[in-house]
Amino acid sequence: MVDNIRIQVTNSLSDSISENQRLNQLQDSQERQSIIEKQISIQTKSLGLDEPWYSPKKISNSLLQIATLNLGNSRFFTTNDGSSSVNELIIEKLPNTILLFTTSSITVIVIGIILGSYLAKREGKISDKLVAGLASASLSVPPWWFSMIMIVLFSYLLQIFPARSTPLISPGAPGYFGDLLYHMTLPFITMVIIGFASSVYYTKYIVLRVIEEDYIKTLGIIGLPSRKILFKHALKNAGPQLMTMLGIGLTATLGGSILIEEIFDWPGMGNLFYNAVIQNDSPLIIGLVYFFTLLYLLTRLVLDLTLSFLDPRIRTGDE
Amino acid sequence: MGITIYTVLYIPAKERSEWNNPFFWINYPKNAAPAWVNYFLMPFQQQLPEHEIYSKNEAIVSSYSETDFKVDNHTFSYEFVYAQFPSGFSIPFSLEFGEIPPAVEITVKRPDGLEFVIYYNSLDSVPSVQNDIGSQLSNASNQQHELSQRVFSSSKEVIDSLIEYADLFNFSISDLPAEKIIFSETDSNIPLRGTYKFIFTTYSFDNDTILKELNLIIEGKVFGLLGTDEFRRDITFGIMIGTPVALLIGVAVASTATTIGLFYGLIAGYKGGKTGTLMVIIIDIFLSIPTMVLFIILSLNFGSSLLFLIGLFVLFGWPGLALINRTFSVQIKNYPYVEASKLMGESDFKVVLRHIIPQLVPFTLANFALAVPAAILAEAALSFLGFGDPSFPTWGQMLQDAHFSSAEILGYWWWILAPGLMISITSMAFILIGRSLEYRAKLSKKQ
Repeated sequence: MVDNIRIQVTNSLSDSISENQRLNQLQDSQERQSIIEKQISIQTKSLGLDEPWYSPKKISNSLLQIATLNLGNSRFFTTNDGSSSVNELIIEKLPNTILLFTTSSITVIVIGIILGSYLAKREGKISDKLVAGLASASLSVPPWWFSMIMIVLFSYLLQIFPARSTPLISPGAPGYFGDLLYHMTLPFITMVIIGFASSVYYTKYIVLRVIEEDYIKTLGIIGLPSRKILFKHALKNAGPQLMTMLGIGLTATLGGSILIEEIFDWPGMGNLFYNAVIQNDSPLIIGLVYFFTLLYLLTRLVLDLTLSFLDPRIRTGDE
Repeated sequence: MGITIYTVLYIPAKERSEWNNPFFWINYPKNAAPAWVNYFLMPFQQQLPEHEIYSKNEAIVSSYSETDFKVDNHTFSYEFVYAQFPSGFSIPFSLEFGEIPPAVEITVKRPDGLEFVIYYNSLDSVPSVQNDIGSQLSNASNQQHELSQRVFSSSKEVIDSLIEYADLFNFSISDLPAEKIIFSETDSNIPLRGTYKFIFTTYSFDNDTILKELNLIIEGKVFGLLGTDEFRRDITFGIMIGTPVALLIGVAVASTATTIGLFYGLIAGYKGGKTGTLMVIIIDIFLSIPTMVLFIILSLNFGSSLLFLIGLFVLFGWPGLALINRTFSVQIKNYPYVEASKLMGESDFKVVLRHIIPQLVPFTLANFALAVPAAILAEAALSFLGFGDPSFPTWGQMLQDAHFSSAEILGYWWWILAPGLMISITSMAFILIGRSLEYRAKLSKKQ
């Protein structure tokens, strides 16, 4: 910051050197230097930059700026239009992240609900053990390592998908979206494979617990077809827990996305954050961390509200 | 576990520091696949060349004297039966000589009878030759000079002398590396199988010349159990020295975090009331932080020593465990026998120690086993991003090296597969242990 001011002051002085009579009279370069230093110190003081970082003035200033989403400019990164504003950078990368991670989490959950409720009906088969095994395996396999393996498989051995997921066509050009989707396929498949086993496992667990309740058994005795019981009654009652699963899945991808985006070179926020950390681009890091946290808290809030909407038992307030 | 014990016992700490030292690995091949790959390729007659190191003792020595100089021949015979070219060769030698420097010549005799002189150097010009790595001339006592040098297949001299044989080949050899010329058929650029003879000749003009060391290293495309990486490092070695570090991190983090979590949860649950609520709020604050982002920032700013990483994982590992323990201790607190012993006037401390902790121990053990893989995975992820402790090579760092050398695009699968598989197997083992402990704990609680 002080460096920026120094550059600014020097530039403005050298611009005005022909107009400013007083500056022209100074022949000695040392005298000029002292004037520049004086200007710098005046500006630093007026901006409050001479105080240490913990001074209340400085902290409240920067906190206020961040809270009002005035995140400043990045040092090294620009959008495709050439703007270096942190806000615009985030807005440019956010759709990509949402496109990849939200679609894959939702796919995982949908597969989980369909397969899980199907498997819940036929308990104790080999498929049960298979799903349980796959679920523990997917917990212990690092997702980013699995992505590397997928790149070796599909980009090197089979050569179906590109290894780098940044589209080659520049945004705005025709065919960009198709290219983006094509580049998205490999990370998408990877994330679905990583996620679906544990998703199926938990859905099965949740649905099984609901099915064992008395009222479902009663419905079976009344003579309703088992499919109708499953989809109309059991899934409805398992809804809140499934929602929790979805929310946890969504929030978990926010952190994990940094690694996966970095490996696939997907032009999303995680990749941006990683590059910002590597380049030590502090305004961008601060902005992204603030944004991550905001997104995280927002997801949890929405989750809690939806839960209380779905499950009236939560609403009563007392623990 | 076996690997850990072996590693701790047999590999001294000094060798751990050699991991990042390129000279230690100079005799190893570059980007070699595991040796067992050849067993799969055998049915197709497609074996890859193996890595071979010949020492001075394996050479056949013949010497004769001319009128004013002496000739020493060291002949290595190399059986080449593979379907692909080796990835290079290097010939390190060290000589001791007196006043008059000897001349050195390397000749290759091919199976089809052709003979290439690939290197000739009269060593008086040696001090000016600096493009060979490891070239050094030291002044020993009584005018004895010692010279260690290493002839690489990629050296300029080798390539320059091979250009002179260009008209023997029916194709252009100008852009090919030396090993693809020497081991090639003359009609087309495919490997020529048979016995090759590498002859190392010294022409000495006095009796002081002694050949101290001589090796022939044919760099193969397969090596060892797990192959080697871009920096010629043996991946088996890396896996082995990574094991104790990973387990140390896992166990240290898990034991500290479970202990803190146990007592924190106990106090929060047992006390209840305002203190309990406050303690739960603190837990909630910790749990609502996106940890990965914070890990990256903290390790970027505060260095990346192993101890710091362990502390970091503990700091963000205990709140989840504390929450579980709190729930249990609230339950147990309300059991009749606990209340009875309270009524009998036992102190809080004694109640907790004698009635609540024994109930929690099985669950704590299960949590311990489940916390180990979490720490291992977190460490691997952080080192993969480049925030690991560079003085302790871990599996995550190996994967980071692989990623930065774009191993996944170049297809060096052995470099990626092994470390990740080790991470997975280790975490899987702990997860299974944890699950079974949890299961038993639940069973014993029901009874």
